Amino acid sequence: MMRVAVIDDEPLARSGVLARLRACPGIDVIAQYADGGSALRGLDADPPDLVFLDIDMPIMRGIDVLAALAPNRRPLAILLTAHEQFAVRAFALNALDYLLKPIDDERFAEAVARAQTAHRVKQGAPGAPHPSPELFLRTFMVRLGSRTVLVDAGDVAWIEADGDYTTLHAGGKQYLVRESLQRLARRLDPASFVRVHRSAIVRIDQVAELRALPNRDALLCLRDGTPVRASRTYIETLSAALGHSPAA
Amino acid sequence: MTTTAARPGQNGAILARLPFHTPLLAAIPITLCMVVTALPYAGNSTAGAFRILYLCAFLAWLAPLTWFQRMLWRRGLGWKATLPILLLTTYLLSLIDSVLGQTLAIRLGTAPGYQWSAVFRGLDGCWLPMIGYCASHAVVASFAALGREQVRVAEAQAGARDAELHALRYQLQPHFLFNTLNAISSLVADHRSQDARRMIAQLGDFLRATLDGVNGHEHALADELALTQGYLEIEKARLGARLAVRMKVDPGLLDAPVPFLILQPLVENAIRHGIALRETRGTLELVITREAGRLHIGIANDLAANAIGADPLGARIGIANVGARLERLYGDDHAFSASRSADGRFQVAIALPLAASAPQHRMAA
Repeated sequence: MMRVAVIDDEPLARSGVLARLRACPGIDVIAQYADGGSALRGLDADPPDLVFLDIDMPIMRGIDVLAALAPNRRPLAILLTAHEQFAVRAFALNALDYLLKPIDDERFAEAVARAQTAHRVKQGAPGAPHPSPELFLRTFMVRLGSRTVLVDAGDVAWIEADGDYTTLHAGGKQYLVRESLQRLARRLDPASFVRVHRSAIVRIDQVAELRALPNRDALLCLRDGTPVRASRTYIETLSAALGHSPAA
Repeated sequence: MTTTAARPGQNGAILARLPFHTPLLAAIPITLCMVVTALPYAGNSTAGAFRILYLCAFLAWLAPLTWFQRMLWRRGLGWKATLPILLLTTYLLSLIDSVLGQTLAIRLGTAPGYQWSAVFRGLDGCWLPMIGYCASHAVVASFAALGREQVRVAEAQAGARDAELHALRYQLQPHFLFNTLNAISSLVADHRSQDARRMIAQLGDFLRATLDGVNGHEHALADELALTQGYLEIEKARLGARLAVRMKVDPGLLDAPVPFLILQPLVENAIRHGIALRETRGTLELVITREAGRLHIGIANDLAANAIGADPLGARIGIANVGARLERLYGDDHAFSASRSADGRFQVAIALPLAASAPQHRMAA
């Protein structure tokens, strides 16, 4: 169980975080605070493992709460803000992640997953074992009208979310797969495919250009000229993958 | 400059804004002239002493005279009033010089006593340098004021152009904003709360990208493409499978500067007045290429089968808005066309200068 506290001066904003946390397993919400002062006292008396912390609170701002705690008593922190400018400074305090309001459900789930990984590392528990390569998808089964076609994973340039389904882009053609991008992502070989956005997965050797954007996101250009957005959550994995890719 | 001529009262005040030490520098050439004219008397100690006295008196009067001239300007007096006042003042100062000269003559023993009739003689050596100084002070101050005025007019023009461009930019948003809010409201009414939350997050991303600080009227193509894709994500959620998007960008163009929000209104146009009206799937095509040193942007979309006849008003406003912004930013150095093609699609083509010429249009602030 990961013990969590939620700090935001707006009741509706707190309940939005709590509602999303209810969908996450292994989370125990131990406290909520509506202002920086009471949050600081509470965090000091009963330190949680993770805090969701609003940056723009009156009087004592979220960042000040974190800064006022001794570094060894500082919990993992996911910062909430409407303004990207605040978020950049937040990283100086080793915040785990930041979420922009209005909150995106998938980004929220990713941030919680990161917190859970960081929490396990902090406790010294071993990470999840790597799945063996035989289990990865080699071909995609795609329905085209009444027949089923097999698309080789090696032909797929990139994969795009399409509502609850996904679209494969292979050889200039598009194929609809009746599976969500999240589920598909888990079954792809991480040595050749990398998630770059909540709505896109690209084959690593297809990336031709990468350009950073001012908000820490990036824009990729694939070999066929398709521009694909990459969000900051995935940039590290992407850069690592590009560095180790034999094509790069 | 017409603006300064129209406000003679303020004209003087503008002249007085010149830093105090600048006109004193203008006195250096006059001082040098006085020294040069004194050189022939170097052997004659009496005449030399008079020359040195007049030179010292001139230098002593400089600061008070400068202050006095600036005070006249600050009072808002025009040339007609300033000129006689300064002539009279410098004449009186010259008379004081002359009295000092007689005092020196009495001390040196060359004159028995004060001769008041002689006070008005030989004033040229004192009066002319002071007149010359006041004249150069006025000329220097006028030039400085003229320069400041030119900078001010240029800044005002740039400011007006910026304001116009901003107004054109903000004109674009309400359309899309209300449509998206309407879509969100429909999702809520349908109890599709997860889809509603996703669309609200996407709208938040898009608004952040369009409202947050872009410091000029241009940004990199990569930024514009990311922004356009944020917008397309919302439209895809609204239209589902009816919207197909094909994008292609030539290599090496991601850093090219393009006008902020140039693609979004055109893409919105293509979707709202083209693809959204179709019963079947429609394709939006965005192709960005480099041809002969220019950046070419092509946007094409399928139209509804019955879309023959006049363009809807909204479509025309969007197109006219983009045309006006390109005109403000690039003048004649661009091409822009929007028309229905032979294959029944709507096509917009833009050609912009690539690289070097663009950054000069960036706003100074």
